[in-house]
Amino acid sequence: MRPDDDIPIPDLGAELRALFDALPHDAPTDPRAADRLVVRLRHEGFFVIPSPSSLTLLRTGSARDLLFRTRWPLAIAAALLLAALSALGGWTAGRRGSLEEMLTRNDLTVGDRVLLLQRAGSAYVTAAQSYANATARTDTTAIEVASRVLLGAAHAVARNHLDAGIAEQLTSVLQQSATRSRATVWF
Amino acid sequence: MSQHRPAAAVSDETLVRRFLDGSEPAFRALHERHTPRLRMLVRRLLGRYQHELDDVVQETWIAASRGAHAYRGDAAFATWLAAIAVRIALKRLPQLRRDDGELSDDIPSPSDGGPATVIDLERAIAALPDHQRLVVVLHDVEGYTHDEIAEQLGIAVGTSKATLSRARHALRRALTEGVTNAT
Repeated sequence: MRPDDDIPIPDLGAELRALFDALPHDAPTDPRAADRLVVRLRHEGFFVIPSPSSLTLLRTGSARDLLFRTRWPLAIAAALLLAALSALGGWTAGRRGSLEEMLTRNDLTVGDRVLLLQRAGSAYVTAAQSYANATARTDTTAIEVASRVLLGAAHAVARNHLDAGIAEQLTSVLQQSATRSRATVWF
Repeated sequence: MSQHRPAAAVSDETLVRRFLDGSEPAFRALHERHTPRLRMLVRRLLGRYQHELDDVVQETWIAASRGAHAYRGDAAFATWLAAIAVRIALKRLPQLRRDDGELSDDIPSPSDGGPATVIDLERAIAALPDHQRLVVVLHDVEGYTHDEIAEQLGIAVGTSKATLSRARHALRRALTEGVTNAT
């Protein structure tokens, strides 16, 4: 029973109902209709058109495999692009935390600046040790550069009154051993 | 492996999925399975505009192919396909009426003599006005409810019922007069 009881609809009657029941539900089809449709749909890009080199694959593999293998150059290009972007991102992120980058920033807290001083000092010591290991002999140029850097650092500390006068004594000692030219300004 | 199974053993949903993956055999299997019924439905919906039959059936398959990604298997594929055919026929009929201008010469009419036959009924259905024919075909032949017809045709449920009432009167009159004239 269909839910159509509120508007009176004349019943079909047994004879008409029998005729309706006897109506066929299938019609013969044109065997070429599917071919025409396939051609039309292929023009719309529905079916994969294999290249001559992939005909063997078409015979042995699924359409999905074929699609994947014919698009591998595109996949490689996408992977390379992704790798390049990742490298750029990594380099940028790494550079953001470098000593040089940190020294140029003016948004650091006091704690960050203390850490930066420690890192700069460690870097100086490491650089001096590396230089000494590399030369393995007394190098006047290295002595001069090292003493000027230390002198510059001591001047900076003294000028900013960071250490209650200790740096001033250090400065006077270093001043004697350094040449008379102006100190290297590195900060 | 499963691709070599007979098409009849594979569900419509699976065939649609394979078709979307690019399988032409899957599409051909769907076409072979559903076109006979689709063709008969469209033939009845079009009435006297039989020359449009192949075109409407093809357009239905193309529209179904384009929208196949939206088919989720909630309804039977045949029902989903029929809904597309009805939409296309509904859109096409007013245009055909305008182009036609008047009734063509080969309007089917009930045969003279003897009890009404299935052929008489087909002719009587084809001779109904478009909106009555659509409702009769969908309700009395295809078994749609009035709610479904209303949704398909974009009309009120009451309109569907009233149209069916008029259509049944017209059918009975056409078939009875054919028989009465002969006796």
